[in-house]
Amino acid sequence: MQLKVDRVSKDFPLRGRAGVLNVLHEIDLDIEQGELVVLLGPSGCGKSTLLNIIAGFMPPSAGRILHDGIPVSKPDRRRTVVFQDYALFPWMTVQRNVEFGLKARGVEAAERARLALDFLALVKLTGFEDRYPYEISGGMKQRAAIARALAPDPDILLMDEPFGALDAQTRVLLQEELARVVAAAKRTVLFVTHSIEEAVFLADRIVVMSSHPGRVRGIYGVRLPRLRTAETRSLPDFVALTQQLWDSLKPQWRAEEETAAARVTHMS
Amino acid sequence: MRPLIQSGVCPLQKKQGIPSPIFAIPRALPAAWRASGRALRNILGFAVFLIAWEILASAGLINAVLLPAPSTLIAAAGDLMLNGTLLRHVGASIERVLVGFALAAVVGLTLGVILGWFRILSDFIKPLVEALRPIPPIAWTPLAILWFGVGNAPSYFLVFIGAVFPVFVSTYSAVRNIERTQINAALCLGATPRMLIWDVLIPGALPVIFPGLRIALGVGWMCVVAAELIAAQSGLGYMIQQSRLLLQTQYVVTGMAVIGLIGFAMNAVMTAVERSLVPWQESSKPT
Repeated sequence: MQLKVDRVSKDFPLRGRAGVLNVLHEIDLDIEQGELVVLLGPSGCGKSTLLNIIAGFMPPSAGRILHDGIPVSKPDRRRTVVFQDYALFPWMTVQRNVEFGLKARGVEAAERARLALDFLALVKLTGFEDRYPYEISGGMKQRAAIARALAPDPDILLMDEPFGALDAQTRVLLQEELARVVAAAKRTVLFVTHSIEEAVFLADRIVVMSSHPGRVRGIYGVRLPRLRTAETRSLPDFVALTQQLWDSLKPQWRAEEETAAARVTHMS
Repeated sequence: MRPLIQSGVCPLQKKQGIPSPIFAIPRALPAAWRASGRALRNILGFAVFLIAWEILASAGLINAVLLPAPSTLIAAAGDLMLNGTLLRHVGASIERVLVGFALAAVVGLTLGVILGWFRILSDFIKPLVEALRPIPPIAWTPLAILWFGVGNAPSYFLVFIGAVFPVFVSTYSAVRNIERTQINAALCLGATPRMLIWDVLIPGALPVIFPGLRIALGVGWMCVVAAELIAAQSGLGYMIQQSRLLLQTQYVVTGMAVIGLIGFAMNAVMTAVERSLVPWQESSKPT
C-alpha cells in the first residue's frame, strides 16, 4: 500500500484544566495507490485532525504514518493539501499560485508557466491566469487551489472538506469536475467530508468515523462505475448506498450531536 | 394609512425617470463630483483657518512678534527661497531622515521577521526591545552626541531610534499573525526556507507592515527636527533654533510650516506607494 495509518492517536491538552481531550483513538487505515478514499464523519470526529497528521502539519500523540513505508515527520510535496478555505496566496495571481510548488522544485520560469497553464486548463480556468484570488468566485478559487496542489506532482492529494464553503450547485459541479480531474491525473486522493452524498459520489472506499474519541466505525466499498458523472447520482447503487449510510449513521450521528450539545452546555 | 414601502425610492419611479424624493439626490451625484467636492472642502478648511489668522493678526489681536501673520510668513518663505537658505536646510533634513529611515527599515524588518518566526529567540529578545521602546528618541540625544559628535551621524541615529520601533512592531505582529493555513499550504507544496520568507511571509505581512513604515517615516521626520535643534549645523531644526536666538519668529514659524507640509507630503507618498504595492488589499474594501 502507498499510505499506512498505523494505530494513530491524538490528544489535545484541555485549556485551563488537567487531562487531555482524546480526539483520535488508535486509527488504522491503509490506502492503495490510485485509490480515492473518503473520510466521512460528523463535525468534531477528528477527520480533519487525521488529515493534518497525515500531511505532516502536526505529529500524532501515538502511532505513525507511513508513506511508501517511510514514517512521515513533516510536510512535503508528495502529499499536497487542498484546504476548505482555499488558502490561496492573495498576493499572487492565479498562475503564480499554481507555479508555487513548481518553483519550489526548481523548475525554471518558462517551463513553470507552461505547466501552470496546462493545470489551469485541466481545471477549466484558462483565461483567469492573471486574476488575483479576490477577483474570482469561491468555486474558481477552489479550482485554482486544486490545480496548485496537483502541479508539484504529488503521490497523494489530501482534501480537507474542500467544497464545504461553496453553495450547493457549485459543490455538485465541482464534485463532478474533481472526479474527472482525478481520473485524468491518476492520483491517490484522501478526501474529508461530512456529506454522505459527496462521499458516495466520489469514493472508491468510504471510511466512516465516529466521534469522542474519533475512531473508524466501518469501511464501505463503493461499487459504482469508476468514472463518476452526473448520471452516477441516479444509479440504483448510488441511491441504495446513500440510503443505507443514512439509515445506519443517522441515529448515531444524532446521538453524538446531542452529546456534543450537552457537553457544550455543561462546559459553559 | 400609507404603507411604509412607499417612502423609499421604488424601482418603477427610477425606470420612468420620475424625480424621486430627497433621498435620491445625493445618490445622483457622480463619483467624480463627490471626490472633487471633498478636495474643495479640504482646501476650504485650510483657507478659512489662514484667513481668520490673518484677520486676527491685522486687527492687532495677535502679537506679531510672538506669532507673525500668514502674509508675513509667505514673505519670509519667499526671502528664504530666494537666498537658497530654505532649500539647503530642507535638503539636509530630508537626507538625514531618509538615511535614518532606511537603516530603521532594514533593521526593523529583519528583526521583526526573525523574532516573529522563531518564538524561542523572541522570548530572549522581545522583552529587551519592549523595554527600549518607551524611551523617547529625544532622551537619546546626549548619548548620540557623545557617541557620534556633531554632524549628520547623531541625526541619523536619532531618526533610526524613532523609526525602528514602529517598523519592528508592525513586522513582528504581521509575521506572527499570518494565517497558519497559508504557511501549511506553502510547506506542503515544498517551499524552501527562502521561498517561505520572500514569497509567503513578507508579502503576507506587507499589508500590516506598510502602515508601520508610514508611521515610522512620520516619527523619523519629527526626530530629525528634534535632533537638529540640538546636534546639527544645518537642517530645518537648526534653522528654527538659529532664528529663535535672533528673535526672527517669522523664520521660526516658516520652518515649522515647512516641516508640517513636508510631513504631510511624505505621508501622501507612502499611502500612494502602499496602494500600488499591495493591490490585493482591494479585497477588504467594500465593492
